[in-house]
Amino acid sequence: MGSVDRRNFLKRVGAAGAVGGAAVIGAREIVAGASTTSSNPLLAQGHDHHALMAHRGLGAVGTVDHGGNGFHPLEILEDFDGGEISKDSSGRTVREYEFVAVDKEIEVAPGVFFPAWTYNGRVPGPTIRATEGDRLRIKFTNTTEHPHTIHFHGIHPARMDGVPGAGEVDTGETFTYDFIAEPFGTHLYHCHSTPLVQHIHRGLYGGFIIDPKKGRPDAREMVVVMNAFDTNFDGENEIYAANTVAFAYVNDPIPVNAGELQRMHVINVTEFDPLNSIHIHANFFNLYRTGTSLEPSEFTDIISMIQAERHMLEFTYEHTGRFMFHAHQTEFVDLGWMSMFEVS
Amino acid sequence: MATSSAAANTRRPLWMSLGAAALLVLLVALAFKVFDSTVSLREPPPVESLAFERTIFKEGSIDLRLRNDGPDGVQIAQVLVNDAYWNFEVGDPGLGRLETTTMTIGYPWEEGLPVNIAIITSTGVTIEHEVEAATLTPELDRSTFVTYALLGIYIGVIPVGFGLFAFPLLRRVSRAWLGFFLALTLGLLAFLLVDTIAEGLELAGETAAALDGVALFAMGALLAVAGLLWLEGWLDRRKDKVRSSAVSSGGLVLAYLIAAGIGLHNMGEGLAVGAALAAGEVALGTFLVLGFALHNTTEGLAIVSPLGGEERPALKHFAFLGLLAGVPTIFGAWLGGFAFSPAAAAFAFGIAAGAIAQVIWTIARSMRGESAMTRGLPTIGFLTGLVVMYGTSLLVA
Repeated sequence: MGSVDRRNFLKRVGAAGAVGGAAVIGAREIVAGASTTSSNPLLAQGHDHHALMAHRGLGAVGTVDHGGNGFHPLEILEDFDGGEISKDSSGRTVREYEFVAVDKEIEVAPGVFFPAWTYNGRVPGPTIRATEGDRLRIKFTNTTEHPHTIHFHGIHPARMDGVPGAGEVDTGETFTYDFIAEPFGTHLYHCHSTPLVQHIHRGLYGGFIIDPKKGRPDAREMVVVMNAFDTNFDGENEIYAANTVAFAYVNDPIPVNAGELQRMHVINVTEFDPLNSIHIHANFFNLYRTGTSLEPSEFTDIISMIQAERHMLEFTYEHTGRFMFHAHQTEFVDLGWMSMFEVS
Repeated sequence: MATSSAAANTRRPLWMSLGAAALLVLLVALAFKVFDSTVSLREPPPVESLAFERTIFKEGSIDLRLRNDGPDGVQIAQVLVNDAYWNFEVGDPGLGRLETTTMTIGYPWEEGLPVNIAIITSTGVTIEHEVEAATLTPELDRSTFVTYALLGIYIGVIPVGFGLFAFPLLRRVSRAWLGFFLALTLGLLAFLLVDTIAEGLELAGETAAALDGVALFAMGALLAVAGLLWLEGWLDRRKDKVRSSAVSSGGLVLAYLIAAGIGLHNMGEGLAVGAALAAGEVALGTFLVLGFALHNTTEGLAIVSPLGGEERPALKHFAFLGLLAGVPTIFGAWLGGFAFSPAAAAFAFGIAAGAIAQVIWTIARSMRGESAMTRGLPTIGFLTGLVVMYGTSLLVA
């Protein structure tokens, strides 16, 4: 729309022939003034692109109204929800949660609003945090016009699987998922109603962290959900992010204490693209695949993941300053999945 | 006299009451539309649309002029250039129906490479604009201004002027052969008419939807017809008044009309070429120049063909005729190069098409006797005109 195919246009004007005379002389001057002819356009003489420094560069313009969204990516990062804790008759810890499916428009980049489907009004949903062996009771109410489920990646009975036919909740109804938290590791939950792509892509997912009984060394813990949004619903993402908001941790870098162990739970829920990845700058991390081991399996600075793949990363920054972390599919970087640590 | 006005008086109440009734029906219908929600259909989702009216490539940045050509408001949120979010400045990000805004994107584009610009609106809709090959847009300064003027002279003034030199030849031929040349002119103009309509409608298709390019084109055409009818009458009246010096013959009136029609056509072509050059989407070779020269000289021949059977007009008339047909090309090139918009171009092409149609009609009307179109030689002349135009157009295809 509105696109002017002037090349074709001129061809036809030329065919009409009313373009006249020795036009070439003037035309040559113009073309020569505009460009340098070269068989390889990349080798053509460039302009002084540094002449213009104002309002240029990668990134979104403006800021997201996190208050309007009702959540801030910096809060989501460290917001672990242990639930309502009690003990059952056998002395087992019971953690009770209330989840409500709510339709909500969220601002995923400055000024860009996405009609999300959410757990408890936030994307990603609450990060459930339990210790292996705990009993989890998640009471799920659906206020939306579509049926939804919560399907946990873990070990549980079939009737608690949160799929159509086992724990799918219709409009206005409630179901309580009840199971034992196992195995320990970095996991996730998501809606498993159909069509699956829509139910996941629209925002129904969250972190599900189970700690080992014997615990782990003290560390500053974070959860990063790698997600993306197809804002125009054409089957391709317009926005990639860490914890929902494009470039959020560029505008608000994540504060990190130098010398302090950082433990990051990274979960990929990206729809439409088969892979996502995370790379941290100027540092390496110990990789605990799916967080299910107490010993690292690899020492690297990048890890790629398919959808629902998740890993635990441990690293320490000795140098201070600003360090990037981002997907190393650079096209995702350009589309929002770029973040910063501020080490001090 | 008295009886007729009395009759008019008795008739007046009838049409007045009919008019009042129609107005009443309209008001009632409007009232229903405004006050009764059951009349309106369910509110549909918003249709967001933007027309990219101008894309200007500057050193290290891209300027856009955008127009909301959809039925609903558009709120510009972000801009993607080649699939990357890029910083930009925009006048007013909220655009009501038909409103325009300008945007500057500080993107380090590269000469000759494609650029895809996608505007993301507040609802997440993407509106894309593809530029096949980025190139620096000429700025409006003295040197480019002069260059475009020269371009107009090369395209319009020189070939037309060259064609005027066919006049001495026309003076030597018989009346029957004059009919041939007039018919040849008709053929040339008929070809230009079809071509102008095709170009104009294509531009109309590129116009912002809400501005209705086809209507602009049609309005331009009708305006040109009305204008030329008036010009013809004015020249006729002037001929009667000042018989001695000015426009003194029917042939000369016709020549001026043809020159005006071709001039308007050339303005459209100057516009098209100026716009194409400004977009850096043209490379003209020597071969093309020869083709253009050969092709456009025929326009000059068309202008002088009605003068063949008459006394030679004053030489100044040849200068005026040449300038009338040629100079508008310069203005067209300036407009196309520095202020191109598809809507204005569709309108300009409409004017050109209307002018040519009117001139064709005037020439055909003037052809009588041996030069009538029903004769053999004029028929051959007409067909020759078409074939010559088509043949020389192949040279520049």
